[in-house]
Amino acid sequence: MSVKRNRHNIKGLLNNLFGLIVALISIFPLIWMAIASFKPENEVLGFPFRLLPTRWVPDNYIQLFANRDIPFLSSIKATLIVSIIATVLSLAIATMAAYAFARLDFKFKKSMWAIVITTMYIPGIATMIPAFILMARMNLLNTYAVLILPSLAYAYNILFFRQFFLSMPVSIEEAALIDGASRFQIFHKIFLPMSTSPMVIVGVSIFVGYWNSFVWPSITVSDPSLYQVTQIIQSYNATYAQKYGVVMAGSTLVAVIPIALFLIFQRYIVKGITLTGLK
Amino acid sequence: MRSILKKEKTLSQNAHNNLTAYFMIFPALLVLAIFVYAPLFLAISKSMTNWSFYGTSEFIWFKNFALILKNQLFRVSIVNALKFVGIIVPIQLVLSFLFAHVLKSLASRMGTFVKSSIYVPTVIAGVIASVIFIFIFDYSSGLANVILGFFGVERQAFLADPKLALFSVCLPIIWLGFGYNSLVMFAGLINIPKEYYESADIDGAGFFTKMIKITIPSLKNTVLLLCINLVTTTIQLFDVPYVMTGGGPLNKTITPIIYLFNSSKSNDQSMGYTLAGALLVMIVITLVNTIVFRVIQSDKSADD
Repeated sequence: MSVKRNRHNIKGLLNNLFGLIVALISIFPLIWMAIASFKPENEVLGFPFRLLPTRWVPDNYIQLFANRDIPFLSSIKATLIVSIIATVLSLAIATMAAYAFARLDFKFKKSMWAIVITTMYIPGIATMIPAFILMARMNLLNTYAVLILPSLAYAYNILFFRQFFLSMPVSIEEAALIDGASRFQIFHKIFLPMSTSPMVIVGVSIFVGYWNSFVWPSITVSDPSLYQVTQIIQSYNATYAQKYGVVMAGSTLVAVIPIALFLIFQRYIVKGITLTGLK
Repeated sequence: MRSILKKEKTLSQNAHNNLTAYFMIFPALLVLAIFVYAPLFLAISKSMTNWSFYGTSEFIWFKNFALILKNQLFRVSIVNALKFVGIIVPIQLVLSFLFAHVLKSLASRMGTFVKSSIYVPTVIAGVIASVIFIFIFDYSSGLANVILGFFGVERQAFLADPKLALFSVCLPIIWLGFGYNSLVMFAGLINIPKEYYESADIDGAGFFTKMIKITIPSLKNTVLLLCINLVTTTIQLFDVPYVMTGGGPLNKTITPIIYLFNSSKSNDQSMGYTLAGALLVMIVITLVNTIVFRVIQSDKSADD
């Protein structure tokens, strides 16, 4: 018995150790990026190889902000504006539609649900270039609107909220209806406040999606004052070839925001995925 | 009496419900109409014309499709996309399947830490992952070559060597997706009822028997979901290969979207041509997903 238990313990220990190693490998590239951003220029790539800098210096960051051709801070601001507005609007659109599909009866409900769900099977590639053409015709290129509008409704998110609303007890609603509350009031005053967890999960995923998006801004925005952070990093990469310190400094600042968001809300997010298998 | 009252109430409520419901779903339908359906129909109709931004368009049937199918570079990009699928999808599935088992056996505190850590790369932009790995893959003294040197292996030009470039580009993509896939696999794993294993234990089933008879069949839906998700995103790869190699060297990493992106920016071809290409990529995605679906589902029916 004790031999078996010992074997069990050793196996458990090895498992934990292995898990820890994989976890460290997963975050290592990000740590490597952050360390490099604080290295003096000659140590970023230089010989002999050093894991840590001999002295931690802010030179790369200073150089980053001194470059006026590539407006780093204004792109952080522009991307924040886009991501925050888009997150708020997307959440409003998705929760409203999800509530109607989960809790209300109305004509053409089935066909409208089909219209929403079918979009999940239409890959982005099929709509991206024609959407760009439409935007160009509407003279919306190089505006905040073109960055924000196209991905505001995402069938996956509507589906996610609908599943959540379907799981809520009908009795809450009945009581409110008897008290004379309207459907919209029930949605707004009862359902939304009870949806913190899915709101956080979907909200973070929308924000991160906008923050990280690259191909759409590259097609639709050429005005430097609207540059999104990914475009800025790409142009650093092109400008500072071999000067990795500066690129890593910019990348560190850009990566910090989604990482911070994730760390703040990690309980919700990890639990959400492991419970439902949905992002 | 009461039931009549109730009926009347539900009737008037229904009329009201209709209005409220339409009001609530209108914004979602509007956005989907303008940014998914309208572009899709525009793509379908314009792909059969020689329309470009300027000038008129003429209906030319399927000429664009024939033209782009004959284009060497477009064909290369489709083959590359399938190569990416062939490398990334199996690796992701195997890694996440194995690591989900590790996650399952972790002590609870360690489990929380490990799950969060592997998920962190998921929130990182493809562009950032690309520049980090360009730095790691640097020829003169990037980390990857330092490690190879430590083991006495000679330096590699990871991104410039036509033989290595595709694999090198896969690495950051696998890094970005590993955490999410592992957590989804883990979710599938912990949802398998314990009784299955208990009764298998009573029957004296070994580790591999349990794996093949219980674990893998029970994870079929999870694997299907992950597979379709992976295939769809992998065929539409853009950010990582575009930033890391720009599609090179010798077009070894050019993907369909990089090709279409470049073609939409140049004036050599009409927009109709580019749109035909986009629709063809959509067809490829649907085809591969159908095959995946058939393969996984047919296994299931054989089991039942």
